[in-house]
Amino acid sequence: MTRHKISLEEFHRMVEAGVFPEDLRLELVEGDLVEMSPIGKRHAAKVAKLTALFGPLVPQKAILFVQSPLVVGESELYPDLALLKPRPDFYEEELPQGRDALLVVEVAESSLRYDLQVKLPLYAQAGVPEVWVVDLEGKRVLVHRKPEGGGYREAEALGPGARLSFHGVEIPAEELL
Amino acid sequence: MIRHRFSAEDFHRMAEAGILGEDDRVELIRGEVVELSPVGKRHMAALKRLMNALFPLQQAKKALLQVQDPLRLFPDTEPQPDLALLAYRDDFYRERVPEAKDALLVVEVAETSLDHDLQVKLPLYAQAGIPEVWVVDLVREKVHVFRKPQGEGYGEAQALEDGEVSVLGLKVPVKEVLP
Repeated sequence: MTRHKISLEEFHRMVEAGVFPEDLRLELVEGDLVEMSPIGKRHAAKVAKLTALFGPLVPQKAILFVQSPLVVGESELYPDLALLKPRPDFYEEELPQGRDALLVVEVAESSLRYDLQVKLPLYAQAGVPEVWVVDLEGKRVLVHRKPEGGGYREAEALGPGARLSFHGVEIPAEELL
Repeated sequence: MIRHRFSAEDFHRMAEAGILGEDDRVELIRGEVVELSPVGKRHMAALKRLMNALFPLQQAKKALLQVQDPLRLFPDTEPQPDLALLAYRDDFYRERVPEAKDALLVVEVAETSLDHDLQVKLPLYAQAGIPEVWVVDLVREKVHVFRKPQGEGYGEAQALEDGEVSVLGLKVPVKEVLP
């Protein structure tokens, strides 16, 4: 039994044709439509905090996408946060792709395995230069740099006391944990 | 990871919007869009033989023949059986997709798909209450006949290599449907 793989184009046409209810949050992961689980308050608060911390970079140094689409290969993911290369139209003309991203952040409360095993390789393949996975349960931030094939050459786990930095924004790791 | 499942309504909306193109031979099984494998010459010939054998039922207005068209079993399941005999209707089902309750007989021709037909589709047909299913096994040259749907299976099962199968009073020699 071969499941029909849904292409990006089919996905967009389904959305336009009103196949999905508006409140359904879906990602297209390598031809499969995956339902996104609802977000808890801890997860939501961390995303809000990250949004505030990165605010000063907008819009000169980066455009901030929060739980918005990012096209990676033939998949369309909704990272918690994506910092994108600045563009005057804020990507209204076309959805941002992996090569437009400067940094992607995923906050993982119960989704750690999915983020690391399914989404991270897709970000790497699409050339997203840096991915942070905030592991709320493990109380650490997993920082990945230097995409190579389906993985990242550099990976470090930062716990309380460590500092994260991106384009001049300094964030103590415990702020996110 | 929860895979999104489509309803048959979604499925038709997609087809109408031209999203699942004419080149996509697909059916909806428990909310999943599943690709149908291409069929070989023997499969095609077997189906033509079946149509030929069953056609008198349509001429007599006892039933309508449907070939590789959708049959709605459940709100999330709409396979395209190789052949279905439907209760006769003067409008030829112009207004709605035929449903399980309309089916008198479903026939699947299996050349490479026997496992899929027996393990995936047969239980669905039984659950939906399809009263009779024939599975024509081209490899072993047998016709499996299933009757009396009960839960996920059929209370009566026969494998015929010879003789006749009968439906709605019409007798069809087994050899006639095996190319």
